[in-house]
Amino acid sequence: MSLFLQRTFDSLANGSAYAALAVAISMVFRSTGVLNLAQGQLAMFSTYIALVFATGPSPYLKFSSNTDVLGAAWPIWAAILGAVVISMVIGAFTERVIIRPISADPVAAIGATLGLYLLLGAFVRKQWGGRTMFLGSPFPQTVDDRWDIGGARLWHDSVGITLTMIGVLGLLAVLQRRTKVGLAFRAVTSNRTGSLMVGIRVSRVLMLGWALAAGIGALAGGLIAGEINVRPDMMGRLLIFGLAAATLGGLRSPVLAFVGGYLFAFLETMLGGYVSFIDSQVTLVWALLVLIVVLFVRPSGLLPRSEAWQQR
Amino acid sequence: MTARNPATSTPLRIVWVVISLAFVVLSVRVGFGATPKIVTDFSNSIALSLAFGGLVLLTHYLGLLSLGQGALVGVGAYAALHAVNDFGAPVVWMPLAGLLAGTLVGAIVAIPSLRLPKAYLALLTLSLAVAYPIILKQVDGNLPVTLDGEFVAPSWTGIAEEDEHIWELFLVTIYASAALFLVQGLLRGPIGRAFIASRDEPEAARAFGVPVYRLRLYGVALSGGMAGLAGGLLMIPTNFNDFTHYPEELSIKMFALAIAFGGSRLISSVPAALILIFLPVWLIDRNWVVEYGWVGLFKSEGFIYAALLLATAYLTRGKGFMHLFERRKPRNIETAVTTNRGASLVADQLVALENQLNRIEGFVGERPDISSRQEPND
Repeated sequence: MSLFLQRTFDSLANGSAYAALAVAISMVFRSTGVLNLAQGQLAMFSTYIALVFATGPSPYLKFSSNTDVLGAAWPIWAAILGAVVISMVIGAFTERVIIRPISADPVAAIGATLGLYLLLGAFVRKQWGGRTMFLGSPFPQTVDDRWDIGGARLWHDSVGITLTMIGVLGLLAVLQRRTKVGLAFRAVTSNRTGSLMVGIRVSRVLMLGWALAAGIGALAGGLIAGEINVRPDMMGRLLIFGLAAATLGGLRSPVLAFVGGYLFAFLETMLGGYVSFIDSQVTLVWALLVLIVVLFVRPSGLLPRSEAWQQR
Repeated sequence: MTARNPATSTPLRIVWVVISLAFVVLSVRVGFGATPKIVTDFSNSIALSLAFGGLVLLTHYLGLLSLGQGALVGVGAYAALHAVNDFGAPVVWMPLAGLLAGTLVGAIVAIPSLRLPKAYLALLTLSLAVAYPIILKQVDGNLPVTLDGEFVAPSWTGIAEEDEHIWELFLVTIYASAALFLVQGLLRGPIGRAFIASRDEPEAARAFGVPVYRLRLYGVALSGGMAGLAGGLLMIPTNFNDFTHYPEELSIKMFALAIAFGGSRLISSVPAALILIFLPVWLIDRNWVVEYGWVGLFKSEGFIYAALLLATAYLTRGKGFMHLFERRKPRNIETAVTTNRGASLVADQLVALENQLNRIEGFVGERPDISSRQEPND
């Protein structure tokens, strides 16, 4: 029982990252119909920005040695928040400059997001190299920073990451449900033409959606970097799990995408832990098989069938 | 884009024949004149042109997005290699095992994803691209697996035993040409027109009895089969396989090149395959891959592909640069006007009416007293 509990605890931090990426992907797809394949790379890029802020003058990281602009090393929390803000600006810029002119054509839009994917990867590799770097966690991470529950260890940073992500996504839900901006966002995702007719500035709302999605991804990247370290391909695996989790919500439901994130992390940990011939790398494959089976049995994911059918 | 252009003129046909002959001459010239390394690269390009043909079929004929074509090539390579090593299949026929495996995997991915919006196929194929190297590493291990067989040219060819790369090039060219010829023939017929109908007007196609879902499924399976065959063909010049050969970047680069160079003719896949193989060679020859910073970024493969994708998205709206050369003037306009004289008369009157309305609008715009009285009602 304690082993099962331990594995459940272990899945929390990864689940938070998957859930955050899945929510970001769902938000963008729901509002614009564009599957943003660069979501993971945007998060990776902003993690490097956080690293630049957090490192201070460093011969190994370009831009961070420019003390006139950045000053000394920032605390990790401030570095991550700075990266989130910059990432939101990049997200809004991406929507305005790259996606909006071609959003009517899905092939062009997906091509553009893939172009962004390659561009960010090339930029990071050429500016900062491909070596692994360490950002650290904003939460206590020593061996003593844990609670022992039922014979299992619950680490403080796992709890911190999970609570932070749940809090941020809860705030996002409040923004969507209780504010005028959220009302406008819901109106645009529901009926864009109707929203235009009642005077909602659709383009601004969409830009906000991309900015929020980029910000959530950046936060997830910054928080999970303490667990998986920073390198150019750090988000590949997370993106696939995020996409799979978003699929459970039919790519349209942020709530189900959020649940799907934790579900896939749980599945990943349990498969890797209990099935002897599945090592940690191959869990990705089994999770994908589960996804294919889910799509076979229930093509709309966990969404009601009528809602999913409207997307066709 | 049309599946068949009955008005293709004789000069155009002659141009195509000349281009094809030039390609054959180039192949023979490269085969006998170039270094073994270049011949092998050329063989790889010809094999990969088949995989690109499959992608062109998906993106430009069916309007579907596949981001896992590189993984399907890998599946074909794996199947071909193990057909020889484990089942004793003759090496000359091993690409057919790749064809079969690619078709099967393509269909397996397509069956669930085609029931949903088109983005799901992109999503599942991207997942396949990421998962493939992991699976292969688990199945075949870290070390390369070598093919248990050799390609010795028959004596009547006059190719020496140590020049097996020339025979390999010819084998690959024969397979790839036959496959591209067959698929192009298929696409120029009713099946090609049904593909385009299901892409442009799926509801109308359904109304006319076209089984859209089944047709797309066949299309994805055919595309997977072409990729698998390409993988099997790659085993002819390469002779070994490991998990690093087909990473997800390969699938993304293939997608980028397919949408940039794709068009209504499968032959457009040849320049894409040549770029995929020879661009890294060119960059390495110039020592550009080791440069860092901004200059290194602009000279990197990732940046070049990203620029290509973004340029394709903006300049051609995702239709590819070949599309720019496919715009033709509408034919027989004069006949249409004379046979629809009544319709053209109505159209002329509508244009005249619109001009009058524009004039009135301009007049109202210059008279604020009139326009202000109208605004509340608007």
